[in-house]
Amino acid sequence: MNQWTGRARDLEEWLEELKKEPELMDNVTHWHTIPPRDARTSPLPNDLAPELKEALRSRGIEDLYVHQAKSYGAVRAGDHVVAVTPTASGKTMCYNLPVLQSLLENSDGRALYMFPTKALAQDQVAELQKLADIMEVDIKTHTYDGDTPPTVRTAIRNAGHIVVTNPDMLHSAILPHHTKWVKLFENIRYIVIDELHAYRGVFGSHVANVIRRLKRICRFYGSSPQFICASATIDNPKEHAERLIGESVTLVNDNGAPMGEKHFIFYNPPVVNQQLGIRRSSVLETRKLAGMLLRQGVQTIVFARSRVRVELLLTYLQELVRDKIGDKTIRGYRGGYLPKLRREIEKGLRSGEIRGVVSTNALELGIDIGQLQACVLNGYPGTVASTWQQSGRAGRRKTSSVTFMVASSNPLDQYIIQNPDYFFNRPPERALIHPDNLLILIDHVKCAAYELPFELGETFGSENLEDMLEFLVDEKVLHRTGSRWYWMEQSFPAHGISLRSAAQENFIIIDMTEGSRVLGEVDRFSAPTLIHDEAIYIHEGVQYQVEKLDYHEKKAYVREVDVDYYTDANMAVELKVLHADKEKTSGEIVRTYGEVTVNAKATIFKKIRLRTHENIGSGPIHLPEEELHTSGYWFSFSEEAAKGKGTNEMQCALLGLANVLVHIAPVYLMCDPLDIRVVPQVKAIHTQRPTIYFYDRYPGGIGLSERLYEVHDELLGRAHRLISNCTCLSGCPACVGPIEEVGLLGKAQALQLLEEAGAGR
Amino acid sequence: MSAFRDRFNRLRGNTAAAEPSIADKENGTTNAASEAVVEENGYVEAQEKFVQNCSEEQCEVEEGTTVEDAPIEQDESESESPPEWAPYDVRLVRNEMGEFLAKEIRYPLDYHHGHHAFAEWGNAVNALTAFHGDEQVMGAAAKGAVPSTFVPLRPDNVLFLDLETTGLGAGTGNVPFMLGIAYFEGDHYIVRQSIIRHPAEERAMLADLKARLPKYHYLVTYNGRTFDWPLIQSRFIMNGFGSKVWEPLHLDFLHPSRSIWRNTLVSCKLSYVEEERLGVFREDDLPGSEAPGRYFAYLADGDPKPLLDVFRHNEIDMLSLAALAIRFGHLLAGRIGTAVPMPTEPEELVRTGLWLERMGEEHSAAPLLAGVRRVQEASPSVWNRLAERDKRLGQWEDAISLWQKAAHAAERNAISDWDAHIELSMYYEHKTKDIPQALTYARSALELALEQPLSGRADSKRRKEIDALRHRLDRLMRKAEK
Repeated sequence: MNQWTGRARDLEEWLEELKKEPELMDNVTHWHTIPPRDARTSPLPNDLAPELKEALRSRGIEDLYVHQAKSYGAVRAGDHVVAVTPTASGKTMCYNLPVLQSLLENSDGRALYMFPTKALAQDQVAELQKLADIMEVDIKTHTYDGDTPPTVRTAIRNAGHIVVTNPDMLHSAILPHHTKWVKLFENIRYIVIDELHAYRGVFGSHVANVIRRLKRICRFYGSSPQFICASATIDNPKEHAERLIGESVTLVNDNGAPMGEKHFIFYNPPVVNQQLGIRRSSVLETRKLAGMLLRQGVQTIVFARSRVRVELLLTYLQELVRDKIGDKTIRGYRGGYLPKLRREIEKGLRSGEIRGVVSTNALELGIDIGQLQACVLNGYPGTVASTWQQSGRAGRRKTSSVTFMVASSNPLDQYIIQNPDYFFNRPPERALIHPDNLLILIDHVKCAAYELPFELGETFGSENLEDMLEFLVDEKVLHRTGSRWYWMEQSFPAHGISLRSAAQENFIIIDMTEGSRVLGEVDRFSAPTLIHDEAIYIHEGVQYQVEKLDYHEKKAYVREVDVDYYTDANMAVELKVLHADKEKTSGEIVRTYGEVTVNAKATIFKKIRLRTHENIGSGPIHLPEEELHTSGYWFSFSEEAAKGKGTNEMQCALLGLANVLVHIAPVYLMCDPLDIRVVPQVKAIHTQRPTIYFYDRYPGGIGLSERLYEVHDELLGRAHRLISNCTCLSGCPACVGPIEEVGLLGKAQALQLLEEAGAGR
Repeated sequence: MSAFRDRFNRLRGNTAAAEPSIADKENGTTNAASEAVVEENGYVEAQEKFVQNCSEEQCEVEEGTTVEDAPIEQDESESESPPEWAPYDVRLVRNEMGEFLAKEIRYPLDYHHGHHAFAEWGNAVNALTAFHGDEQVMGAAAKGAVPSTFVPLRPDNVLFLDLETTGLGAGTGNVPFMLGIAYFEGDHYIVRQSIIRHPAEERAMLADLKARLPKYHYLVTYNGRTFDWPLIQSRFIMNGFGSKVWEPLHLDFLHPSRSIWRNTLVSCKLSYVEEERLGVFREDDLPGSEAPGRYFAYLADGDPKPLLDVFRHNEIDMLSLAALAIRFGHLLAGRIGTAVPMPTEPEELVRTGLWLERMGEEHSAAPLLAGVRRVQEASPSVWNRLAERDKRLGQWEDAISLWQKAAHAAERNAISDWDAHIELSMYYEHKTKDIPQALTYARSALELALEQPLSGRADSKRRKEIDALRHRLDRLMRKAEK
């Protein structure tokens, strides 16, 4: 330790110093050290072309990690492959090697690479081109996305050996214009799908259909390419890959890459009010830890779960280090930023110019920002898989790295932080998709019909295709002649269909402070709570107030302001059951899976003071109600279980239970916590009983509720353990919720209800 | 089926507010998707082409032969009409790929379409070789060989083409339901319009086209480079005819029309060019955008009547295409002032001259450009355009005198165009090192720029230019102080 600067020599030393500080260590509930791991390797495959071997050697690669070698072998054997490896394990070699080998053998061959985002695609091309250059062979790799200049597009279509693109581009540009891509589709040997885990939920369900369309076009040109997929660690990589591409795949999950020592530190902010179970704000604690790291000169990434938190933390951290380091060295990063700004930030991180970044899970994906040394998670990221992904941003092959997870007071965070074994021993979540969601499916049937007329006897998904086609004939979209269905409509169907969100359109945010410029965008579901009139929208640490939300035009006009509060909006939800598909009774509980409609309306917003987080005012929100038809799962308690509880007590018990469930449900699902919603009802219209409803927040559902229906018993058991193990007196934000919300007896009531119902074991 | 509809409507009905209607094409989408609109650059232009609208003004109808009077001769390979088509001279065509319908209209060479008669074609066609001739001859000459494959334009080796389609853009779901081709043969300009009674007939229609193509070396279209021709190529692929059916030399007259008339005509859509420059006035023309709707109506009930307007619209397009080709031929042959009127507006004059020069017709261009120099009144952009050319050729004196004219015109009429000022300022700063003079022009430029108030929207470009101007001024002042 340098006495003058207070700086440690390296991270190791700083961590040792940290251990001597009781004030901090009191809050460290678990310090997990993952020992360094040596590489496990295989020699370069025998059949590898000499020039490729030479190129690898010149880049310092003398042998392969075992997972790379196995993946190469399986692809060469003709299998569809999914390789599962953590961040920074040389994953790209799993597909680049067999693809390059194949192109060296036959230069007419083609490969299509698909990445979920444009940024990822651009990183890839550089890497591939480097190898091709070393080999001095004419293997052309190009990105083909919205940024590709029109002048080079023709050349890419005809001559690009490897075309790197994203699913949106496939969906709306390549597939509907497949006749311009004859060379590619006639000769396509491989389709590479990286970041497979990103294709889940609604997006994944769309992408599975884009892949169905892609395969259909390949068949038209007489080719049947092999799929090579790569995924971060999830529970069901093989199953997920098979659902996504509709083929059986070989799993490669034997990671042979080395890793430096990794410290994983669980940090629980101190309790400041024992009675109410209130802990210090995780945002403030995150600020403290990240600030310490930044002042040590450690390049640090901070992950926060919401856009608002990213902006809050960014503001705080920039303040904290303003006098120490220049203003531009600490940046924010999230979905609403425009691409150019993001590229600039990524570059700054790689070069080391940017020392700290606060991000949403947008940086969780494999965008190349180099390997950082420290990671601070503000709150549990929601899934085991995301946590490892985010933590993987800090970690190098040779030197040590550290991840702090700062728990918030929500029940899931508290559960994880108090049960480290659960986190470290549990397989990560399953990726779920539902490609046959009727709304999604029909959209892609339209696109597919546009691309190529449908022929009697064809299949597309698990629904009856002929029924769908005839329906589209009735809708005057298709025209049937004999045994074929032709697209007969003026529009271009792909333009009206977005793969990315349930909403068909994003809301644009326009800054009117000086002239007018587009600041960013927000998806439709978030709009009522994020950019309603008078909302404070924070962008790059700057506050803007929404002057007007033009709901119809999907535009929000904002103006820069400087206020000491932020806003938080409430939604009111109404729910109806349409149809019950499955039902089961266990103990005193009947559980059901079926279809529901949900009416949601943003009602009021609160103004919350910065730093103290106290409520300083509120206002109404006047926006139209949103109606959603989706799948749901609900369970109700028998009379026996409910006996002795008045309406009020039942209200508190259900609310408490719902608060716990909504937070632990994501344990079973790989989804954004906002994708699944919970509604408790003391006397539900449908069941006439006290009932808790879950529903998927996407029209038609995407399989989340169904999965919860299946794990019902386990879910309630876990809820019971969480409540009974919580150290609070009578309810806290970490279990059933604060007593202001669930009442003094909320905790006891919820527990009692579970026990009466026989779910407490 | 109805169960399916019920399920679907339940889902959709409840989200109806959020779902765009099927026909709604103007949707914003995610980043990647909206970029795809720009992706196929044909899309925008095709759209433009599709919204062609006839002027609402009551137009004089061209006296003389009407289409109905034109003698119609029947091709032998074509048999009788299906009954519902019988009244319209539309015949059934059969080939090994199936059936479709076709209508052939023969125009004698003395037929006038607007200002031009088809008889002029023989005189005009050769000069159109300038579109492709140069590169071929020059290329071959450079190699020291006589081009053996090069075929100049002849009256009978040019195919005119225009499609009516079911949608926009060159996407694979856009079906050409009507294929208009035309060609000069003997004493006639022959327009042949094929139409399919349902999409499955497309293959036969394309087979017919394919069989005719080898006779021609050149293709003439209006916006066909981005729309009609790529679409036809795509249809050949879709129907299993392969990707290299015919590789013509393409003359797309949209591009030269834009070069010449961009700022003179309201729009460079064929219907405007036609009215303003070819003397063709359409009566009750069906807007192109309504053609798909007519075809869908026909598909639904089989009544051909709504399609008659589409036939007519397409036919006039084919006639105008020939007239436009004749006009460009005359232009390239140096017949301006004789077969083609001398442009009256300086803007068109300078653009025509510069275009001719680019086409390698310096000889024809010279009098036009000289004319521009003699013009007394013109917008600064006219002088600037010519000055830019002089500058490129190193003719500084000419350029300076034009810039001075432009600068003067801008100041006198308070037009916010300060390009000439900047050019002059650069000239004095770098060429003659006359800093005070450079400073004067930079100052006037800023004055002009600031004269018009910035009005918020869409002014970010102007704001940048003003910033650049301020930088220039600062630099010059520093230089002046030294």
